[in-house]
Amino acid sequence: MAERILPQENAVLRHERIELLEHWLFALSGLILIFSGFGELPMFKRFLVTELPLMSWSGDYFLHLKIHYLAAVIFVSVAVFHLVYHGLLGHRGLIPKKGDLGASGKTILSFAGIGREPKSGKYLPEQRLAYLYMALVAGILIATGLIKVVKNLPGIYLPPGLITVATLTHTIATVFFLLGVIAHLAALVLKVNRPLVRPIFTGKVDLDYVRLRHTLWYDELVALGQPDVIAGEDEPLEALAPLEGLEGGGGQAEEKPNGSKG
Amino acid sequence: MNDKITRRNFLKAGAALAIAGTGAGLPSPKEAFAKAGAYATVIDLTRCDGCQGEGIPKCVEACRVKNQGRFPEPVKPIRDLWPHKKHDDWSEKREVINTLTPYNWITVEKIQEGGKDLFVPRRCFHCDNPPCANLCPFGSLGKYETAAVVINPEICMGGAKCKAVCPWQIPQRQSGVGLYLKFQPLPMGGGVMYKCDLCQDLIEKEKPPACVAACRSRLGEKTPLHFGPRKVMEGLAETRRSEIGGAVYGKEENGGTSTLYVSLVPFSTISSRFKEAKGEIHFNPVSNRLSETNRYAGAFLAAPVLAAFGAIGLAVREKRAEKKGGR
Repeated sequence: MAERILPQENAVLRHERIELLEHWLFALSGLILIFSGFGELPMFKRFLVTELPLMSWSGDYFLHLKIHYLAAVIFVSVAVFHLVYHGLLGHRGLIPKKGDLGASGKTILSFAGIGREPKSGKYLPEQRLAYLYMALVAGILIATGLIKVVKNLPGIYLPPGLITVATLTHTIATVFFLLGVIAHLAALVLKVNRPLVRPIFTGKVDLDYVRLRHTLWYDELVALGQPDVIAGEDEPLEALAPLEGLEGGGGQAEEKPNGSKG
Repeated sequence: MNDKITRRNFLKAGAALAIAGTGAGLPSPKEAFAKAGAYATVIDLTRCDGCQGEGIPKCVEACRVKNQGRFPEPVKPIRDLWPHKKHDDWSEKREVINTLTPYNWITVEKIQEGGKDLFVPRRCFHCDNPPCANLCPFGSLGKYETAAVVINPEICMGGAKCKAVCPWQIPQRQSGVGLYLKFQPLPMGGGVMYKCDLCQDLIEKEKPPACVAACRSRLGEKTPLHFGPRKVMEGLAETRRSEIGGAVYGKEENGGTSTLYVSLVPFSTISSRFKEAKGEIHFNPVSNRLSETNRYAGAFLAAPVLAAFGAIGLAVREKRAEKKGGR
């Protein structure tokens, strides 16, 4: 893993290019799958989407199916790549740990001003839970989707009961997938999460943000040996004003103006 | 008449056709995927007289009698299907027999060609690779090995997608009935779709569909409706086509169907006559649009395998780099 502190840029390299590519291919194919999936429901014509400018094509179920297949090929391939690549390299950072549920609860309460957000590693506990949620939903969608692909082939006669279960599960799981995507994006409503937007485009996250919110990870990175950065640890953290409620964050600034980790 | 159809009887019929030299060795249609053992219907348009003088065609009557317990009983008043200011309600027009409705799953329509009446029975073709069943987002339609494509009214939401993707717009919707009512006032679904189920329950008891049995009861050997194993029916259709110098429709259309029309009048002419009469029937060439998408199915195997090999290669490279860099 190439994650490291970049002192010149006052940043930490959080994601490799491969991970960024995985994320965006997964995200784009996922969004296309949601749109084309909803296009397979008889709703675009019903709700007059087909009447919108340049959207008359959206009533064509067969066209949606083609788009859905092509996006699904990318989606499934990225999922396979993700499992094999990170599995072989032993990356476990996003796999939920014991205590994540409680820590997530504390984090959410801290947003409401109750208590403080627990110290975190590279990933927050709620990110690990969200990962598990999306992995489960994506797994269900892929498994049921593949049954549907097989079912569409000529000369294949699957039991009608299996088709009904697979189809309904796929349709319902799509709703849960959409809810997951909405929750993923809604996290950005909280200012405290916004420093995580930059790294998903550039791979680099603000060093001061890491120092305050991903304290455990920061400590690991420092332990790797970054003397000039360690020297900068005492620098003021005015830029972190939005990070209220964090242990050592802005909310604590009144007690400890230097923003020390507490 | 003994309604029971046995495989032995079918095989006998098939053997007779083979002896006649017309049923054997027929090339398989390019795009037909019917599983061996499936059944099929032959509709011989040269023999259908529309049951003139009977008041109601026997096939239509038999279908309605057999299925009357399954016809929809909508809850009224029926809400419009928002945002549209309409809904589908045939419950006050149950007597209509000249078109397909939720209460009329087979119809016999009439056109004039060459100064003569031509009667055309019409119901679900029971396609080999049915878009209606494959694309239903609720899995409400099943395709059985008998060839029957059957709607499950218990889980049908009435979105009418099956009708939209059917090349012949066969399924018909009745609003005010079915699962969608449980979601009201949410604007989801619109009723239940209805169509011929090929009398799947009778086939399972080795009996022919009600329409076929009724027609045979009236006309005996001159019946225009025949039902039996697919290969036998294909042979029968071909024999008859050859005898009259006509054409067969339904064998390859939409990827192959289990309903084979035989006609002396060219099907393009029949289509034109119905178009002139603003009728719903057509006998145009129809390709199976699912086959366009099925071309990509292989990619679901190939692309993830490539992705896995790519991942292995990159992971190995990463590990080597880590070792080399002492990371």
